[in-house]
Amino acid sequence: MIYRIRHLTKYEYANPVSLCYNRAHLLPRDTQRQQCLSTQIRITPTPVYSVRREDFYANLYYYFSIQEPHSSLQIDVTSQIKIIQPTLNFDLDLGNSCARALELTRSAVDEETLLAREFCLDSPMIRATDVIREYAAPSFSEDRPLLSAVRELTTRIYTDFKYDPGFSNVATPLHAVLEHRRGVCQDFAHLAIACLRSLGFAARYVSGYLETLPPPGQQKLIGSDASHAWFAVYSPGEGWFEFDPTNDNMPAEQHITTAIGRDYGDVTPLRGVIFDGGGSQKLSVSVDVAALPDT
Amino acid sequence: MATQDSLKPVENALRYSRPDSFYDEVYSPEGKVREHWRYLLEGLTAMGTEGLSDRQRKALRILRDDGATYNIAGEADTSRTWGLDPIPLLIDSEEWSRIETGLVERAELFDLILKDLYGPRELIRHRIIPPELLYSHHGFLRACQGVRIPGDKQLILHGVDMVRNCDGQMTVIGDRTQAPSGAGYALENRTVMSRVLPSLFRDSQVHRLSLFFQAMRRKMASLSPNGDSPRVVILTPGAYSETYFEHTYLANYLGYSLVQGGDLTVRNGYVWMKSLDGLHRVDIILRRVDDTWCDPVELRSDSHLGVAGLLEVARAGNVVIANPLGSGVLENPALHKFLPEIAHFFLGHELALPSAKTWWMGDPEDRSHVLANLNKLIIKPTARRAGEQSVYCQTLNPAQLEKLKQQICAAPLHYIAQEANLPGSSPSWQHNELLPRPTVLRGFAVADQSAYSIMPGGLTRVASSCDQWIVSNQLGATSKDTWVLASEPQRRVSFIEERPPVFVEDQTSDLPSRVVENLFWLGRYSERAEAGMRLLRTVFIQLNSTGVLPENVRDLLLKAVTQVTTTYPGFNGPSGASLAKPEDELLSVILDSRRSGSITANLRAMLNCTEETKEMLSADTHRVINDLRDALSQLPAQLRNGLTAAPEEALDPLVTTLLALSGLTQESMIRGFGWRFLEMGRRLERTLQSTALLRALLVPVLEDSEQEQVVETVLLTSEVLITYRRRYRTRPLLDQGLTLIMLDKTNPRSLHYQIDLLRQHIEQLQSRERSPVLTEEHRSILEALTLVQLTRPAELAEAADSGIREIMDERLARIQTLLCTAANAVSDRYFDHRSGPQQLVQSSWSEEP
Repeated sequence: MIYRIRHLTKYEYANPVSLCYNRAHLLPRDTQRQQCLSTQIRITPTPVYSVRREDFYANLYYYFSIQEPHSSLQIDVTSQIKIIQPTLNFDLDLGNSCARALELTRSAVDEETLLAREFCLDSPMIRATDVIREYAAPSFSEDRPLLSAVRELTTRIYTDFKYDPGFSNVATPLHAVLEHRRGVCQDFAHLAIACLRSLGFAARYVSGYLETLPPPGQQKLIGSDASHAWFAVYSPGEGWFEFDPTNDNMPAEQHITTAIGRDYGDVTPLRGVIFDGGGSQKLSVSVDVAALPDT
Repeated sequence: MATQDSLKPVENALRYSRPDSFYDEVYSPEGKVREHWRYLLEGLTAMGTEGLSDRQRKALRILRDDGATYNIAGEADTSRTWGLDPIPLLIDSEEWSRIETGLVERAELFDLILKDLYGPRELIRHRIIPPELLYSHHGFLRACQGVRIPGDKQLILHGVDMVRNCDGQMTVIGDRTQAPSGAGYALENRTVMSRVLPSLFRDSQVHRLSLFFQAMRRKMASLSPNGDSPRVVILTPGAYSETYFEHTYLANYLGYSLVQGGDLTVRNGYVWMKSLDGLHRVDIILRRVDDTWCDPVELRSDSHLGVAGLLEVARAGNVVIANPLGSGVLENPALHKFLPEIAHFFLGHELALPSAKTWWMGDPEDRSHVLANLNKLIIKPTARRAGEQSVYCQTLNPAQLEKLKQQICAAPLHYIAQEANLPGSSPSWQHNELLPRPTVLRGFAVADQSAYSIMPGGLTRVASSCDQWIVSNQLGATSKDTWVLASEPQRRVSFIEERPPVFVEDQTSDLPSRVVENLFWLGRYSERAEAGMRLLRTVFIQLNSTGVLPENVRDLLLKAVTQVTTTYPGFNGPSGASLAKPEDELLSVILDSRRSGSITANLRAMLNCTEETKEMLSADTHRVINDLRDALSQLPAQLRNGLTAAPEEALDPLVTTLLALSGLTQESMIRGFGWRFLEMGRRLERTLQSTALLRALLVPVLEDSEQEQVVETVLLTSEVLITYRRRYRTRPLLDQGLTLIMLDKTNPRSLHYQIDLLRQHIEQLQSRERSPVLTEEHRSILEALTLVQLTRPAELAEAADSGIREIMDERLARIQTLLCTAANAVSDRYFDHRSGPQQLVQSSWSEEP
């Protein structure tokens, strides 16, 4: 399966901005499941400085700065992604038990596990607290296979929490999400990661896209797809496994990864500073994920 | 050499008694004076208590005159004179060579660690350090992965704090690797000591410090990413940073420009300094700003101390930052626990200079040991953060101890415990006695061609009491010069001789426009304060004069105080201060620092400008500024009893000091851009103040005798009453007064004189413009000058039916407007008015499924 993804971001500023520096995590990376065939990024106005780089987690990012006064900023990214491993070929009930996974996370000496331990730690946007551990613990009995436990956690978050875009924004802290039992995909991913880390497992944040299918018989609307977020858990010796608590499933063919990190902060689609102007600013984002016929 | 005869007094030198329980620099455990201390102790003994205290006072005075300060964090607005103990710490050459070897080795190892942590991370892969040690540390900046600077060495400067443990072994208790401070203070200490103990210093064969700074300069130049003759700047957080003095001192000593984040900008992938004549590329930044504050784009987004986009320029290799961003990861004291293994891994042998025994709370075994033995330990956070300091647990009460335990258990990865050894002592001159005081030595390494060069000496600090286990400036420690004694006389190497003289024709480009702007405001505030004080002095004299002061004259004078100082509503509003009882309001106009326009507020603002331009000011100027600061701080006490007895005298020292300052700029300042803007600020402000004074006092029409009284006030305030009397030999008349104050070309306080000077400055600046079209400030000044020249005093003096002199009012108002236009035009043209960086807010980012 090959997807063509167009991600259009537009800022409108009330007052012209004279200078800006930005770091955009908008270029999809390669993963075990996918291969990025091509990416084009077009920025208006044209940046005076721009460079494509790889970050600490081997994600791609685009750094650019604009030096001419501008009242709007548009970032138009088009990528073609090939999904190489569309089907899930493992059994959730096999593999490390929770206790074993925990033990190996602490003691295994292979490089992958040593480096995965970074994702057991608190990160800027995710603090594992007692309340979170209490919420998570019931799913993780010692003998239970880790992946089956994580699958249950995913379902619990899906069931216990209401999807409510009006409730949270990027600054909403995790405890508020937990308290009010509502949030968006990013909050649910953060929550699941916090749950796993509170118990000592390594978990990381995945940002990307989800292909949405129109209701039967209707034409798909351009721009109706959206950026999405989910998480992955590490099982020593077995690797990383992805789960999507917003949709209560495991990412497969319709999930396309952009970047991975400790939390949203590592892979923020666009971060930067502007000088002068700004004031009230309007942001519009449109994402379109289209499946291309296989060639 | 000491003879048998001279032995005795030295053993009792100034009754210095050896502490029993720990290592002492002077006495061996057997109670013998160590050989290398003898000469100094003999000298000090000969000097006696009086002599030594006298040297101490002299040292303090020099430090104060040099503007050597250390700002205490959390105490805004206060800077303390840098403390220097007149007794140096002595280290003999054999001992020093061991320390030096240890420091070189440690710097080399830390360089290898730095390269590894931001590169392959072999230390984790080979399980030398646990991953959490690195990944949980706040100083590990993922954005800095893979950023390299030219040359093999990535760690350019390394500061190492050492103490003697009870066996006398030098032991490392901390590393400074972001922006190690202290090298400049060490140099200043040396300069002062060589002046207060000249012969002892000369005959002690002390290793000189200049070689270290030569190496530093050589290294900086070699780092240039953009070819020869690179521009090096020192990046300071600003005048309120603890060690700001050192930044200005090093900038002057090394010949680098001192800049703040706002003075730099990133354009086209390079870093540039904003100066009056445009942008100049910066090649190397010697930074004194901590890692995370350096770039709001990729690091702390709320920082205003850094330069937006800096990290990417470094990543692209277009600027070199020393030390590189991210080097704070090496300041993690938990590394000390693993250093022996790390040394084996990288070097194949142990370090000559050991670290203090360290436990990391991230290790469960360490944690339980520490929690059970807290009493004997020092607890430190793994990363230095505001408000968190090392704690010696024995000084805590049970409740505090419990709180600390909870703090540790809540975030064990972020704490370490260090064995508490009371640092070995050295003699310190305190309270007219020679007393043993815990001593910490900070050594400095700089990357040189192939190895590290060590400063032969360092910054020694001694605690203020003998039971202080943690020695820090924040806790009142004082400093010492460190004398490394050579076995043979030292060759004199002056730092300046090393490089051929380069004549820099136009120094403008070395001056950030912020500095020039501050000089401009320095001129304006000092004139503003002076004009206010001159008026107040006259008003006091008139209010307290023996003659009768008619009520409406009194009212006019008081209202003029409000108008000239712009401390509205003051005496002007309907609900304003009482004209019959003006004392409270007048005192407030002088003393209330929060009131914009008050004398104190203007002087404070002016002193702030001197801080921002510190590196531009001469030692004499520092002395005058110190006097000013003293006089200002004594003002409330002097006016404690209100305005009863000759209150004008309280203002005299301040006026005199301001005059001294203005004299210094006239006599000693190079006629460059800085001077020109300082002068323009002065002239602009003086004209504005004179005009305001004339409008306030001379526009209302009074009957003759009262008018004369007011004209006299104006003449007195304008310093020309005596001239007037001599020249006109008559009562103070309006016509003649106006002539003298507005038109007289020989009166340096006349409007004509001042505006004409301003015109000359602006014409000089205009000559730099390519266009023959006059700039706005030039046109405004020409018009103002012409208006003054065309003045006919009799015409201005004409009274209108409304009871005021309308023509005068209109004319003066026009002149004020023109000057304000000129001031704004100058400011818009030459100074930076970009607002600070803002975060690109993404409150409504739609990351939905």
